Amino acid sequence: MQRDVSALQPRWLTRGLASAGGAAMFVAPLLALVLIWAIAVPLFDINPRVFPSVAAVAGAAMESIRDGSLIEHIGASLLRVGLGTLIGIVTAVPLGIAMGVSPAVSTFLTPLFRFFSVLAGIAWIPIATLWFGYGFGAIIFVIFNAVFFVVAYNTLLGVSTIPLTLRNAAASLGAGRWALLTEVLLPGALPNIVTGIRTGLGFAWRGLIAAEMIATNVGLGYMLFVARDFYRTEVIILGMIVIGAIWLLIDRLLLVPLERSTIERWGMVRRA
Amino acid sequence: MKTLELRNLAKTYFDPYAGSHVTAVHDVSLDVQQGDFVSVVGPSGCGKTTILNMVAGFIPHSGGEILLNGKAISGPGPERGVVFQSFALFPWKTVLDNVGFGPKMRGVPKAERDRIAHEYLELAGLSHAANRYPNELSGGMQQRVGVVRALANNPEVLLMDEPFASVDAQTRMTLQEELTRIWQERRPTVIFITHDVAEAVFLANRVVVLSKGRVLDEVEVALPRPRVWDDLIEDETFKRLSAHVLHMVRSA
Repeated sequence: MQRDVSALQPRWLTRGLASAGGAAMFVAPLLALVLIWAIAVPLFDINPRVFPSVAAVAGAAMESIRDGSLIEHIGASLLRVGLGTLIGIVTAVPLGIAMGVSPAVSTFLTPLFRFFSVLAGIAWIPIATLWFGYGFGAIIFVIFNAVFFVVAYNTLLGVSTIPLTLRNAAASLGAGRWALLTEVLLPGALPNIVTGIRTGLGFAWRGLIAAEMIATNVGLGYMLFVARDFYRTEVIILGMIVIGAIWLLIDRLLLVPLERSTIERWGMVRRA
Repeated sequence: MKTLELRNLAKTYFDPYAGSHVTAVHDVSLDVQQGDFVSVVGPSGCGKTTILNMVAGFIPHSGGEILLNGKAISGPGPERGVVFQSFALFPWKTVLDNVGFGPKMRGVPKAERDRIAHEYLELAGLSHAANRYPNELSGGMQQRVGVVRALANNPEVLLMDEPFASVDAQTRMTLQEELTRIWQERRPTVIFITHDVAEAVFLANRVVVLSKGRVLDEVEVALPRPRVWDDLIEDETFKRLSAHVLHMVRSA
């Protein structure tokens, strides 16, 4: 006979255990990779110039935390990605909605936005440095660019898929243009907007690292690139781990909860 | 007192597939008195939904006039409430906020529109669902919300477009009985579009039979209220009226 465990436990405990279990399932493969790494480097006697040991990377982490350089690089990168993303979202959402309202305009612009969505981010770095010089401006432009087209396109898509009857319902209940925008179009397009932000932030994060290698003297991308000149593979690997970890944290602590608290509650997308 | 008047209403549109102009509504004239309940019944393609969409202001009419209290309508407006076949509830709003949407658009403060919404939810027996989202409700419950959402806005006329067509047969009967009860309590002016003859007769004071974009006939339904299916299903007058309307619809 199957025992109903949930009846014996308080709800918060069941839920806490479930999310702790989920986190463990997520971390386990990453830990396995570290374990293989820890065994493989001494086993095959790999040259530190080719690939560092776990201990060397841990040492580099300690050192860069102690002298404050890691925090400085992370801070610079996060500031850039935050600012560029913010500008991107603030400009893309209104534009996407304005275009999505008219079927003719949205049909006309869709290929254009798909084209620029593909180009978004890294491909713009050379021309951005020509326009803005090496530094803050060029990097912000690259991030803005990565976010803008993807979010605008997804917003446009979201607005154009809102059923006409919902707009009609709002109008027949007395909604004017402004209310239609804030009460119907914006929330109706939100699932797509969130998807756009998730994708755009992914592009932006990669674009940021690439741009920082070329166009600045602080940030995670810069940290990686400079370490290469000194054959400091342990710093390169540390930087790569930090880049990946920060992205996972942003995604799981910021974007996934945003999706859960709104869209899934409304039943507008099903959890996979 | 006349609330709604349709004068020689017509709708012609261009059909890109046929490559020609199609007339969906030919020449429809109809008077609806304040507090009346009128069903419009006809086979699919007879133009009944087109008429409703024109009265709601969702599509323009190409001929004739639509007068509400003597004034020509233009575009959608809160004085004409609509109940949709697809419910058209806002998925991102709770049941309470869906029902309070019309008052919100009128600028009614939050506390007052919540009170209005609660009052109408009670009318539909939905008080327990106030804080739930539409996707958490059954189809029948969703359409109850759709009906009271339109009523909570106090429209001059309530336009219902096959509202019960997408719920199961048992739920439909319950919803029909509830609608007649709510109508008796509140006396809204109702135009009810349906292809279901029994439904049209059960609900209305008057049944308008539509065919090929024209009014074929109008039938008075002098059945006593409150109306419940268990009584009417055996009722001779109900059977005779239904058969009469059915013959007209089928021969049309």
